[in-house]
Amino acid sequence: MLVHHHSTPTLPTRVVVLGAGGFVGGAIVRRLLADRIAVLPLTRNDVNLMEADACEKLRAILRPTDSLVFVSAVAPAKTVPMLMQNLRMAEVVCEVLSSMTVDHLVYVSSDAVYADDANPVRECSPIAPTTLHGLMHAARELMLKSSTQAPVACLRPTLIYGSLDPHNGYGPNRFRRQAAKGESIQIFGEGEEQRDHVLVDDVARVVSLVVAARSSGALNVVTGVSTSFKRIADMIASQFGVDVVSQPRPGPRPHLLHRFFDITQIHKAFPTFQCTPLEQGLEQARKGAE
Amino acid sequence: MKPVVGYAGMTHLGINSAAASAARGFHTVCFDTDSERINQLTQGNIPVSEPGLDELVVSQKTRLTYSSQPAVLTQCQVVYIAADVATDDEGRSDLRDIHHLIGTVISHLSPSAILVILCQVSPGFTRKVSWPADRLFYQVETLIFGRAVERAMSPERFIIGCQMPERELPQSYQDFLMAFGCPILPMSYESAELAKISINCCLVGMISVANTLAEVCERIGADWHEIVPALRLDKRIGPYAYISPGLGIAGGNLERDLATVCRLAEEHGTDAEVVRAWIHNSRYRKDWVLRVLHSNVLNYCPQPRIAVLGLAYKENTHSIKNSPSLALITHLTDWPIQVFDPVVQASAVSHPDCAQANSPVEAARNADVLILMTPWAEFKAIKPADLCQVMRGRTIIDPFQVLPGRECEAVGFTYISLGQPPRDVK
Repeated sequence: MLVHHHSTPTLPTRVVVLGAGGFVGGAIVRRLLADRIAVLPLTRNDVNLMEADACEKLRAILRPTDSLVFVSAVAPAKTVPMLMQNLRMAEVVCEVLSSMTVDHLVYVSSDAVYADDANPVRECSPIAPTTLHGLMHAARELMLKSSTQAPVACLRPTLIYGSLDPHNGYGPNRFRRQAAKGESIQIFGEGEEQRDHVLVDDVARVVSLVVAARSSGALNVVTGVSTSFKRIADMIASQFGVDVVSQPRPGPRPHLLHRFFDITQIHKAFPTFQCTPLEQGLEQARKGAE
Repeated sequence: MKPVVGYAGMTHLGINSAAASAARGFHTVCFDTDSERINQLTQGNIPVSEPGLDELVVSQKTRLTYSSQPAVLTQCQVVYIAADVATDDEGRSDLRDIHHLIGTVISHLSPSAILVILCQVSPGFTRKVSWPADRLFYQVETLIFGRAVERAMSPERFIIGCQMPERELPQSYQDFLMAFGCPILPMSYESAELAKISINCCLVGMISVANTLAEVCERIGADWHEIVPALRLDKRIGPYAYISPGLGIAGGNLERDLATVCRLAEEHGTDAEVVRAWIHNSRYRKDWVLRVLHSNVLNYCPQPRIAVLGLAYKENTHSIKNSPSLALITHLTDWPIQVFDPVVQASAVSHPDCAQANSPVEAARNADVLILMTPWAEFKAIKPADLCQVMRGRTIIDPFQVLPGRECEAVGFTYISLGQPPRDVK
């Protein structure tokens, strides 16, 4: 759960967003700017965390009064080399944080840190990743928390969708792209797996709230509503006027069939915050892509 | 000759137990180190609220003696240590006050007196008390908030922890216990201390089953209240089983016992995962109202006015310790609330915009949602049609089904309670 170190929302002096060139980082920068928060967006062109001079460069940029939002990742981390690459990126940030102070650290993690069978998933669910990607985020969370005295907030979004998502994984983004090309949307089997999908703008809104409250702790960034892939496909199909076609699964039925979240902690941390309903979010993503 | 019975510690447990002792015909001495509390009791001001307690204390006035001087206990043949034991947020007991009280009492007991530990202590506690073991006992208390007098007057049984269970109890102690007309079960100190915990674990286990399946009912269209009568007719479950769903265990005593089992398991290497699961389930259930409030009202109503009926931890008590209502209200500070409780004042509430109403229906006036957090019997008299007249919104969250759900539904409310899907006219 989150603990707010500001009892009332307070604009930070400056927020440095590490990984601002990415899908999630870019949305966070736009949200912070819209909320009139001073932002320094850093992309890999500014500080490449894989290069030898990364520590030096980052240390020269950061100020003790900064809030640092760490989003950079090579994701999803599917292989051991990718896992190690991500850990080395985090190592740079840890080294800098060990040698200087910042006011607040926000790490954008993932719900992959939880065990597959942790239904409904809560912030207190055991950290028991079953994928390299989940292991990467779990390790990074621990690395960061052990490297700084500043309050650390670990945000764990679930499956993120949005018009600018560069990935083409099974779900809203791929479905939208198929439909936009006038193709039928292809689902595996009956598409009965229920998952929670969160709009990238909602993730960015939560980051903004966390920054203003100078929160520490863990929070799942999820909607609390799990929807089957079939239902999502139907929603997108009706937006574009295409069909939904069932395809044989490329492999066995997934071990993680459904995933639900208990969103009580979001209600407690930010009582007036509400996620964008899926149908509305999908419509926003469609318009954004146009 | 009937023994004189003493009670040290005039808390909820001590006052109710002493009143019952007097009502069973024993001259009863009530001792507490807090002289102000004793003054209040002497004047007839009972600091705890329990059905029938005030009347019982008044009717037994001649048999009850109050004092803040421990020397008053010298006349007693049987003395109970009956103070409530405080717990922290994790359910751990703070026994410092009890140790101090025992020390004070022992130094004033007559050499032949029976000392009985009645308060909530962990296994191993009684054996360490410095009093001759043949006159030292542990007695399980089974106080239930809101039913304390009934339980004290008519216990189902006495569970007595002894050094030598095979020996007869001392005559004075036996005479006292037999006046209550229930079975007496002597056993070792540790067995009795664990029996108390075992009772509570059985209760929590049943509650957890009810909570778990009630939530399933809410999602699949079943009604837990239709299932309960079938369960009660099963002899293995029984008519008095604790199978009503709730908002998590509260009050402190059950939590204390669960925490004790977890501690014992940790110390002795036994498996207490199921107990930890109960604790987890209880914490989850505490937020049931907050979850349904968000999903059914706050998600759609940006500027809601919220009415809350009931502030006490449960009906028929003034206690607000671990009150689900107060816990809920701490998460509603972004919106104005209107509250009513028959006993607890709104001043107990920490909220920037909380208005106290003088009746349940007044609390509901202009509200978008009405939440019944404590199932006080007097709330049953509320007429759904009257709520219709005064409320702005059409949602009632009534976890314990105090109001008639179908009637609420019939007059246009969405009615939400534990163990069944939300009901509305749609």
